[in-house]
Amino acid sequence: MGILSLLLWTPATGVLLLAFTPGQKTTLIRTIGNLFTTLAFLLSCWLLHLYNQNSPELQFSEYFPLNPNLGSAYALGVDGVSMPMLILATLLTSIALIASYKLPKSVKGYHLCILLLEFGMLGVFLAQDWALFYIAWELTLIPLFFLIGRWGGQRRHAASLNFVLYTMSGSVFMLISLLAVSQYDLEHVGSLMTTLHQAAKDMPRYEQILVLLGFLIGFGVKMPIFPLHGWLPLAHVEAPSPVSILLSGILLKMGAYGLIRAVNMLPEAAHSLQPLLVFLALFGMIYGALLAWRQTDLKAMIAYSSLSHMGIILLGIATLNEIGLTGAVLQMTAHGFISGTLFLLIGLLYERTKTRHIGDYSALIQLMPRFSVFISLALFAAMGLPGTIGFIAELHALMGGFQQWGGLMVFFSITVLISAAYSIRTISLLLTGTIKPNMQHLVDLNARETIAAGLLVSGIIGLGFMPSPLIELSAATITQMINQISQRLL
Amino acid sequence: MNSLVVLIPVLPFIAAIIIGIGQLIGLLRGETSESTTAFIALWATSMSCLLAFTLLGTDLLHKNASSFLLGQWLSSETLSIDISFMTHGFSLVLAALFSLLLVIILRFSINYMHREIGFHRFFFVLSLFSSAMLLLILSGNAVGTFFGWKIAGLCSYLLILYVYNRPVAAINATRVFVTNRIGDASFILGISLSYAWTETTNWLNLRTAAEHLSTGEATGIAISFAIAAFAKSAQLPFTPWLARAIEGSTPSSTVFYGAVMIHAGVYLVCLLEPIFEKAPLAMALLVIIGGLTALYSYLVGLTQTDVKSCLAFAMSGQLGLLFIECGLGFWQFAKWHLCAHAIIRTYSFLTAPSLMHNVYENPIKPVSPVIAKQRWAYTASLQRFWLDQLTDWTLIRPIRRLAQDLSYFDDHVIDHLAGIPKPAINSISSLAELEERLISASLDNDNPSPSFSYSNGLIGKITETFASITHGFEDRVVLGGLGKGTINIGRKLGQSANKFELLVLRPRYLVLFVCITLSLAF
Repeated sequence: MGILSLLLWTPATGVLLLAFTPGQKTTLIRTIGNLFTTLAFLLSCWLLHLYNQNSPELQFSEYFPLNPNLGSAYALGVDGVSMPMLILATLLTSIALIASYKLPKSVKGYHLCILLLEFGMLGVFLAQDWALFYIAWELTLIPLFFLIGRWGGQRRHAASLNFVLYTMSGSVFMLISLLAVSQYDLEHVGSLMTTLHQAAKDMPRYEQILVLLGFLIGFGVKMPIFPLHGWLPLAHVEAPSPVSILLSGILLKMGAYGLIRAVNMLPEAAHSLQPLLVFLALFGMIYGALLAWRQTDLKAMIAYSSLSHMGIILLGIATLNEIGLTGAVLQMTAHGFISGTLFLLIGLLYERTKTRHIGDYSALIQLMPRFSVFISLALFAAMGLPGTIGFIAELHALMGGFQQWGGLMVFFSITVLISAAYSIRTISLLLTGTIKPNMQHLVDLNARETIAAGLLVSGIIGLGFMPSPLIELSAATITQMINQISQRLL
Repeated sequence: MNSLVVLIPVLPFIAAIIIGIGQLIGLLRGETSESTTAFIALWATSMSCLLAFTLLGTDLLHKNASSFLLGQWLSSETLSIDISFMTHGFSLVLAALFSLLLVIILRFSINYMHREIGFHRFFFVLSLFSSAMLLLILSGNAVGTFFGWKIAGLCSYLLILYVYNRPVAAINATRVFVTNRIGDASFILGISLSYAWTETTNWLNLRTAAEHLSTGEATGIAISFAIAAFAKSAQLPFTPWLARAIEGSTPSSTVFYGAVMIHAGVYLVCLLEPIFEKAPLAMALLVIIGGLTALYSYLVGLTQTDVKSCLAFAMSGQLGLLFIECGLGFWQFAKWHLCAHAIIRTYSFLTAPSLMHNVYENPIKPVSPVIAKQRWAYTASLQRFWLDQLTDWTLIRPIRRLAQDLSYFDDHVIDHLAGIPKPAINSISSLAELEERLISASLDNDNPSPSFSYSNGLIGKITETFASITHGFEDRVVLGGLGKGTINIGRKLGQSANKFELLVLRPRYLVLFVCITLSLAF
């Protein structure tokens, strides 16, 4: 059993253990939950230590045929694109569990769902077989449906139903595309990513475009890309805050990750669809930013700013050049950290005041100085201030986009301006002014919360000042991907 | 031995830092710690003075190298600037003399400034100035000299502003500083020209490179540095700043305008002696400007009624003479004159406060009748030849008007286009605002922020419009149409399917279907 299987099955073991634990023993359940998420995080750190970042190939590969007739297999592997995502997934899951220690009801079911969700997410990032990828992808839906529908806000039922309907209908398109590609894999009759990659070469151009459009819809719903984001604001607002952390921190990245793999498989189609992709990216960025500017609900604001930031990832992917793709991969990590921090902090604030309306807050800097420092830093990172990881990612994507389209990047700048407007306004409305009478007894973050938020914020700042380890981590893989793409395009 | 030269400017700098930090953290405050501050400043400068004299001694015994290289400050592809110090010749003489004068002035200030409010601040600036001045003189390259030049200028600004709550002091300090900026610009031009034509900024290399310069190039470099020197040494047309600068307290006037800083211009010209020798035009300019300034200062000095103004104009006149000597090629004479003048002026400035006691029953000689009868000359002299007014009229007013027009443009065009940001801090700034808020408090709670996504200005309005269009689209199409719409359609479809199923399962239809199936089968 390789280290990847060990990592993948750690949360699953946790699920099994929890299933046989009596529901009344909440302390034991919490301990088991935290133990297994921490274990998974440590394992992923150990994996990072073992990982050789100079090699662009798949590492620690594991292969075990599952269904020889259909050709599906249990194939795992990591490369430079999935490595940062694994760390992010395990880290954010641990933090989400730390942040949910005040959970009022059904502790057992909640921890079970979170661990199951982690299992699914790790499966998505580790799978090297499209069938396995698809199974893991769908697996994440089940715990999320319950997490939003049971522990969410007032409109939680509508939100969870909406979320599942959207994602399911997207997945259908993804499945059709996968089937279409695997038809051309005559020799192996399998669904391994590497063999399908070869198979896609033989497809006619128009079929490739159709297949990529299918993938675009499938992954675009999850990411989300502009017209397919209808589930996002509702789900984010209604989900409990720890789930929002996971939702925007990692689940959105699954869409981006899948899209990178799909584009790598079908570069000719991506090249033909480049104008559509860049239009969707830029339009989505401005659209999300404008809507974020209008929101009075803090969580809705962050949700729409996520839409805007995911546009940067799509833009980076659409450039089809090295620096742009680096920007996309960096933005995946950056957004994971930033939106994770923001949702965590807003969730902690909501727990204390039970309101998410910006206008209800003022003068938090006097009441909650630690909270104020963290949220200011996170919002600065969201607007891409130099010295934060957000800047590094946006700069790469901007440079890649400029190489490809030049002056069109003025729309990127407009987005940055609008995002600065809403970030600064949020800071000033939350932190300054006179203390409101009903907020006088707010308590600042306690030690546990400070550690959770501090870990994320130090990631934002640390990687902002020293981005090279993160860039080096994916550099070799990205170079190889771009080489493959440009060879196919010639 | 040569390396000791580094300590000469560094010691007063360390003293300045210690005094500054001590003041910031509150260690040096009030009358009780006056002696500490004075001790630190005096000790550091005395040590510098001792070092300077030691080095001068060894130089006279011909044991010094000509310069000392500490390291490299900046290097890029083509540009490299060293940190180097002069350890030979006139620079060392001047460093020794000036550091001695600085020690004397510091000692004088300890008693003179006793119980003044800004005692510690004064010694901080004076130490910083000592360091800057010694760096100016000892630096082996133009960039280092410019550092000292600039910091000395800043210190002069700070000391003219010593009583900073007096509006006159503020106006004068700003005026002096701005006037000196013209000289700074010229200095930078000089550095760039010498780098462009000789590829060095080192004074010694520049002097040797002078041989290979053409007359035109030498004239360019020489005139640039000459203008910088004129500004620093208060020559025409920059002379009026000197009269404004004596606003500062007596010891600072002494140190800046009597003894030390005012001579920096002449020192600069002396340093570039070989280049000036190659540029007859620049030499002529020195003579003309020096002569005019000497004449001007003499005439204006005749009508001055206070001690310090008299001294100021006497000084600019003497400096004019120094420039004439340089321009005529009497370099050695000019250097001796410079040293002598520095000593004399230190004495006369330091004794200026007690002058009234000294000249009691010893009236000043009247002006000779030939000049005294010229009424227009009297007016001109009293008005200082309208130089200040002339500057106001030719430079300051047009620039101010341009600024006003631009500000009008900014207020009425740009602000309307771009919008004015809301105050970043939403705290209550005035009593009226507080009352308004108290009155509307209940309303405010019902509808927390009616103007939440409100903005002004053209760009702000455009953003607002686009945002509301986007919002409408999102609300109706994405959330309403796709989100709720699909759920509703799904529900309706389900209901109709249920109806259909119920219909189909009624016995008559069931029988009918069975019949149809049977008839088709057979």
